[in-house]
Amino acid sequence: MANSTSAIEFREVSLAFGDNVILDRVSFSVRYGESKVVMGGSGTGKSTLLRLALGLIKPDAGQIFVDGEEITAYTEEQMMNVRRKIGMVFQEGALFDSLSVYDNVAYRLREQKAPEKEIEPVVTRMLRFVDLEDAIDKMPNELSGGMRRRVGIARALVGSPKIVLYDEPTAGLDPITARTICELALKLRDLEDVSSIFVTHRLQDIEVLASEYVVRDDFGNLLFEHEGDTMCLINTKFIMLKDGNIIFSGSDEEMRQANHPYIRKFLDKER
Amino acid sequence: MNLIIRGIVQTQEITLLIWRVLRGIFRPPFYLREIIRQMDISGFGSLTIILLTGFFTGAVLALNTGSTLQKFGVQSVAGQLVALSLIRELGPVLTCLMLAGRVGSGIAAELGSMLVSEQIDAMRALGTDPIKKLVNPRIIALVTMAPALTIICDMVGTLGGLLTAITFQGQAASVYLSSAKEAVSFDEALGGLIKPTVFGFIIAIIGCYKGLSTTGGTVGVGRSTTQAVVVSSILIIAVDFLLQKLIMTLLLEP
Repeated sequence: MANSTSAIEFREVSLAFGDNVILDRVSFSVRYGESKVVMGGSGTGKSTLLRLALGLIKPDAGQIFVDGEEITAYTEEQMMNVRRKIGMVFQEGALFDSLSVYDNVAYRLREQKAPEKEIEPVVTRMLRFVDLEDAIDKMPNELSGGMRRRVGIARALVGSPKIVLYDEPTAGLDPITARTICELALKLRDLEDVSSIFVTHRLQDIEVLASEYVVRDDFGNLLFEHEGDTMCLINTKFIMLKDGNIIFSGSDEEMRQANHPYIRKFLDKER
Repeated sequence: MNLIIRGIVQTQEITLLIWRVLRGIFRPPFYLREIIRQMDISGFGSLTIILLTGFFTGAVLALNTGSTLQKFGVQSVAGQLVALSLIRELGPVLTCLMLAGRVGSGIAAELGSMLVSEQIDAMRALGTDPIKKLVNPRIIALVTMAPALTIICDMVGTLGGLLTAITFQGQAASVYLSSAKEAVSFDEALGGLIKPTVFGFIIAIIGCYKGLSTTGGTVGVGRSTTQAVVVSSILIIAVDFLLQKLIMTLLLEP
């Protein structure tokens, strides 16, 4: 039985492409409402974790649970129902080139044959959430890299999934745009109670996700606060991958004190 | 990987893709709008090149055979020769080779670039089966449009032959046309339509397979596109031989 407190759980999951071992008996879980930040260098299998959780690829061994269901042996048809609970934000946005921003965001609802009058308010609300209402009629090739990813986030959030997977959403972006993306992730974590896996290799993202939180004041305004010395965020945890293994799992404070040479090198290099 | 093993693996994967297509093609959801869009792109979009190809093929066929026929004093069968060659062989093969170059390559390039930019994964993540949404409409479009374009190619080719016969060989239009009409029996026409239907399926399935099995980023997309054209062209010509034998046995021989 899966642990009922876990939104996502990996048990001893292994995957190899030919002789190339991507994941070697990896186990971890994401509790409900928790954000798990997955770090590691390129080619360490970070994105593969997300693709496994979404059932896009199947593991060679081990078990994967999503929302208490074991999805390891699910067929493509069975996965369709599981995927409704999950929103996935792809690295470059992965917007459909031939569709406008509106149609991209409306895609999931159109596929579910929702009537147009129900689709429009949802699309507008989602685009407002990512602050891109003005781009509603644009085509993806007219958008900047950051805007494409924000549309990707809006598209992933249609249907209010309780689990969101982010595949390096800030890679290659300038610091300000990257921060905007992280703030969206904070809003989802703190205000919508979304569980998530956030794959990144940028230390700046880690700083924001580990030490800031969002609250809504009495007037409905959003305030971004720092955790400070008196409180500590417990809804964000970190794991570090290297050569297909988890070499660290814990809070950011623990990570900063870890002695593992790879973690030290990673933290120092990124700084 | 060994060339033979790679061949076997690819054949297996194509068979699996065909199986998934056949299993899903009669089950909802049906993407009617997408089917019509693909028909427009592959059918109407290819009309110009098919018209040009057909016309000049018919014209040059009449030109080449004209002098030989004259030598034997049977110039009056020029129409029959052109029409029969077009219906049996040149119409289906040329139309479908053109479609492989124009549409098959386009399918491989489009699906390949969608794959490398993670759009196919995004589609699956959003609850759509890419086989139903992307592959099936393209197959339906080509299976229906290839025979339709072949008919047009046959007609225009016969017309091209007629113009050559009238202009360069001084033949009467009525002689040419009545001779051409003689060539067209129901069985000939049926045989000439079975071929492009099969070829259309080959072009679509190879284009989709090559596109969806793209690896290696944008360079890979280029490679897939080339391979789609090469493989489907070779298959068209090889399958043409087998089909012709089959059609002759079943339809044309008494």
